[in-house]
Amino acid sequence: MLKRELKVNFKSFLIWFLLIIGIFSVVFLIYPSIASSENIKMMDEMLKIFPEEILAAFNMDISSLDSAFGWLKSEGFVFILLLTSCYAGIVGSNIILKEENDKTIEYLTSLPITRTKIVLTKTLVGLIYIISLILGIGIFNYIALSLSGDFNQKQFLLLSITPVLPSIVIYFLCMLISTFTHKSKKMLGMTLGIVFGSYILYMLSTIAEETEFLKYISVFTLADIRNVIKNTTINPAMLGISLILSILLFCITIIHYNKKELV
Amino acid sequence: MKKILEIKNLTKYYGKTLGVKNLSLELNKGEIFGFIGPNGAGKSTTIRSIMNLINKTAGEVYFEGQRLEKDNINQKQKIGYLPSEIHLYDDMTVKELLDYHETFYHPKPHDKRCELVKRLNVDETKKIEELSLGNLKKVGIILAFMHSPKLLILDEATSGLDPVMQEEFYKLLKEEQEKGTTIFYSTHILNEVSKICDRVGIIKDGHLLKIEKIEELKDKELTFVTIISKEIDKLEKELKITPLEKTKDMIKIKNTLEINSLIKILGKYKIEKLFIEKATLEEVFLHYYK
Repeated sequence: MLKRELKVNFKSFLIWFLLIIGIFSVVFLIYPSIASSENIKMMDEMLKIFPEEILAAFNMDISSLDSAFGWLKSEGFVFILLLTSCYAGIVGSNIILKEENDKTIEYLTSLPITRTKIVLTKTLVGLIYIISLILGIGIFNYIALSLSGDFNQKQFLLLSITPVLPSIVIYFLCMLISTFTHKSKKMLGMTLGIVFGSYILYMLSTIAEETEFLKYISVFTLADIRNVIKNTTINPAMLGISLILSILLFCITIIHYNKKELV
Repeated sequence: MKKILEIKNLTKYYGKTLGVKNLSLELNKGEIFGFIGPNGAGKSTTIRSIMNLINKTAGEVYFEGQRLEKDNINQKQKIGYLPSEIHLYDDMTVKELLDYHETFYHPKPHDKRCELVKRLNVDETKKIEELSLGNLKKVGIILAFMHSPKLLILDEATSGLDPVMQEEFYKLLKEEQEKGTTIFYSTHILNEVSKICDRVGIIKDGHLLKIEKIEELKDKELTFVTIISKEIDKLEKELKITPLEKTKDMIKIKNTLEINSLIKILGKYKIEKLFIEKATLEEVFLHYYK
């Protein structure tokens, strides 16, 4: 079953991977000419006009656009974070639900296999692809950055890992929600809503002290990019919270799926 | 006789809508049990409850004396299931699907698979999405039969099969029965019940109306009486039976009266012609359906 699931989900993984690599390839190809021109200094000067809170929302207060790595730290990793989270959410909401949506669940459950094993196998495949996507993007960016000059390798490594935390939590959250419906159609909007809604909450939480509490309800707080950029370290609390949330969501998914009416 | 499947007081409600109520039945080893009823009677609900695809509101299902659990691998290995509408993985070829199916059973039922593929004339190179309804059904039959299950649960198994393949399928069923396989056979086609089943359960509006041996059902004294008379209206009033057919001087009734009472009533009127026919098995089934 594992082999089949890997095969079924490979195509969408490849499309997402190539899409993200394509976007970043364009940036890495044109960035040297942007960075070497006078315009980039003007852009940095112009950014100083913006309120600190807005700059903080895009990490521009702690990084500069004068190099490809600087761009990655400010905007690049936000893209990676959002795109990998979208991918994780879509995989999570579909990987189990697809069998019901395609009505193949009647066949699958007639086989000598437990529902728990079905969920476990599918979950593992989803995790493999999410981590592969993040890893693949990391390797690509590493090669591209190496070709474009020096950069802080430890900081890059940690920044490349951070999308794993919110992505995994979103993956398990969407998987759990998917066990409450029978149709995949309903899930796409909800998944994108969760990802972008959560990111908006995170951005709002960085803007003002009054809205700071919003970080407690956004999964993107777990990525902790600002801390990684500032201190070149991942907060172990974020790792712990991500792990606990994922395990909790996964356990509820298994319990609920075992009770679910599948047709 | 050894009981293979036992359903005890199965009840299923979908919200407030009744699926089945207090359904109890037993299947003995090696028998083919026909399960018939009109659309929406509760046949699929019963099957899905047995297969644990839906949650029962009440009741229990036992397989070989043990409660049939949704996650009992040993039990699942001994059951073959053919749903009425088969949905398989469209991206696979028949060969890939059968190979995949084999991996779930130990030892792999490869020989039986090859035998069934040959017998049902299935092209393994075709993609599932390219298969016609009949060919898809044949693949479904192979999937249900290939691991030589002790219990086969078949829902509308012959729909989509051509007459030649239907005959081959009936032969296959009989052979499985001879090997001791128990078969739960849900169908709409009444004459296949009389052809292949040992016993039949008739379900209507979620209630199991009757379980009877086919031979006993054939012997039921259900008769149709056609009367031609000038006094047909008066006669109809006295019989107090709603006629199946009626013209100015003819009525056809399904006789529910004791034969002597009927003769006594008919004797009061001038009868021109009288025909009494024994109901066919299909008509007996329909009698319960209506």
